[in-house]
Amino acid sequence: MADISSDASSTAIDVRPLARRPMLEISGVSKSFGATQVLCDVSLSVAPGEVVVVIGPSGSGKTTLLRCINLLEDYEEGTITVDGAPIGYRRRGSERIRMSERDIAAARATIGMVFQSFNLFPHMTVLRNIAAAPVRVKGAPRETAEARARELLAMVGLSDKAAEHPARLSGGQQQRVAIARALAMDPKIMLFDEVTSALDPELVGEVLAAMQQLAQGGMTMVVVTHEMSFARDIADRIVFIDGGVIVEQGKPDEILFAPRTNRVRAFLKRYNDRYRI
Amino acid sequence: MNNFNPLIHSFPYLLRGAGMTVLMAATAAIPATVLGVVLALLQVFGNRILRASVIAYLLLVRGIPLLVLLTFAYYLLPLTGIDLPPFWGVVLVIACYYAAFMSEVFRAGILSLPQAQWDAARGLGMTRPLMLKIVILPQALRLAAPPYVSLCVSLVKATSLVSIVGLWELTMASREVVERTLAPFQVFIGAGAIYFCICYALALYGRHLERRVLHGH
Repeated sequence: MADISSDASSTAIDVRPLARRPMLEISGVSKSFGATQVLCDVSLSVAPGEVVVVIGPSGSGKTTLLRCINLLEDYEEGTITVDGAPIGYRRRGSERIRMSERDIAAARATIGMVFQSFNLFPHMTVLRNIAAAPVRVKGAPRETAEARARELLAMVGLSDKAAEHPARLSGGQQQRVAIARALAMDPKIMLFDEVTSALDPELVGEVLAAMQQLAQGGMTMVVVTHEMSFARDIADRIVFIDGGVIVEQGKPDEILFAPRTNRVRAFLKRYNDRYRI
Repeated sequence: MNNFNPLIHSFPYLLRGAGMTVLMAATAAIPATVLGVVLALLQVFGNRILRASVIAYLLLVRGIPLLVLLTFAYYLLPLTGIDLPPFWGVVLVIACYYAAFMSEVFRAGILSLPQAQWDAARGLGMTRPLMLKIVILPQALRLAAPPYVSLCVSLVKATSLVSIVGLWELTMASREVVERTLAPFQVFIGAGAIYFCICYALALYGRHLERRVLHGH
């Protein structure tokens, strides 16, 4: 572990927006892969409509944290709630009880997730990719779900691609479809896991624009990204994770331009050295 | 050309035998496919006991020649009091035998799907049965289609073994014609050509499926 001596002050500052029930509450979550501890007693609270960007070095636990939120990764300790509803585990006194698979699936339906590698279903058309889950999971009538899917496609600028299969779309287009697919479930919160990392540089902008639009619409978002300028533009708060712990969090300008900890400073220096043209 | 007269005269009879071959193969392929999918799912998702049972079944069936199983069933079934008509008994044995091979093909199809597809389906709130039905199996079966068709070709040819337990189909019909005409070469050239045509048509279909899998959808 590197310098954490100056971290105490950062955790003492509560930068949460005021007094509403958090949309996402992560309390004391720990997670190991075998002997390697990837998340260590992580707690994070995200207010409704807040955009939290998670940054940190590779292998710091950012993606794992995101995957724990909708239980794509199981975690050993702690609890997570979305809009007050537990995801994966309930507390009964001091006991932690795992929910049934059906309840976990229902809880996941309230969380939208967009992945680095798009993960569209290649055997379905774009329209079916978006409308399948609302119809089959939420029981929405097909016509309603497809009408909503077309609306979402228009929102991400892909109205003309409804009948295509994903293989015929560019990476940026696929990622925008993936965003529309997640939104079709009317999630309470959206999770973005390095969604531009697999894209050619010229395709990054269109995906970021879709996310920006979403953030302006008031969607609660947790975004893992390496795009620092985007983080600065979109984030209400930036959280820096390293070694499975939240090292520092605060407003974008504070974290990016006046970090309090050496670890954040070192990370940003490495980042700037790498991307300086 | 006169040498081929026995074949020409008996060709309609051989074609009737071929009809029986196709009927038997198709009737066996359907339960073999269903059982193959079920065994594959049990192997991937079953608990330890189920998985071990399926693996034991696969090892057993794949380690014994079909001819031995057919003969064994021919003698064993009457002793167990199960009174199946010979056609259905044979179909049952072939189906159980090929289900073991098909299950491996389907299992490979399921396991070859990237984890990302499971993540995406789970992330949308799908339960496991729904995920299997609309995301995993449609893709896995598509991936498994070319080797599956190869197995179907093998199944068609395997029906020639049933003549040993007295069932009438193309091979049995050919043997009857040979006994009548004493022209084994001509008749079996004809029988071979008919088998080839059936299997070639299937193989072409397999190639077509393979192209579809390789070139997306």
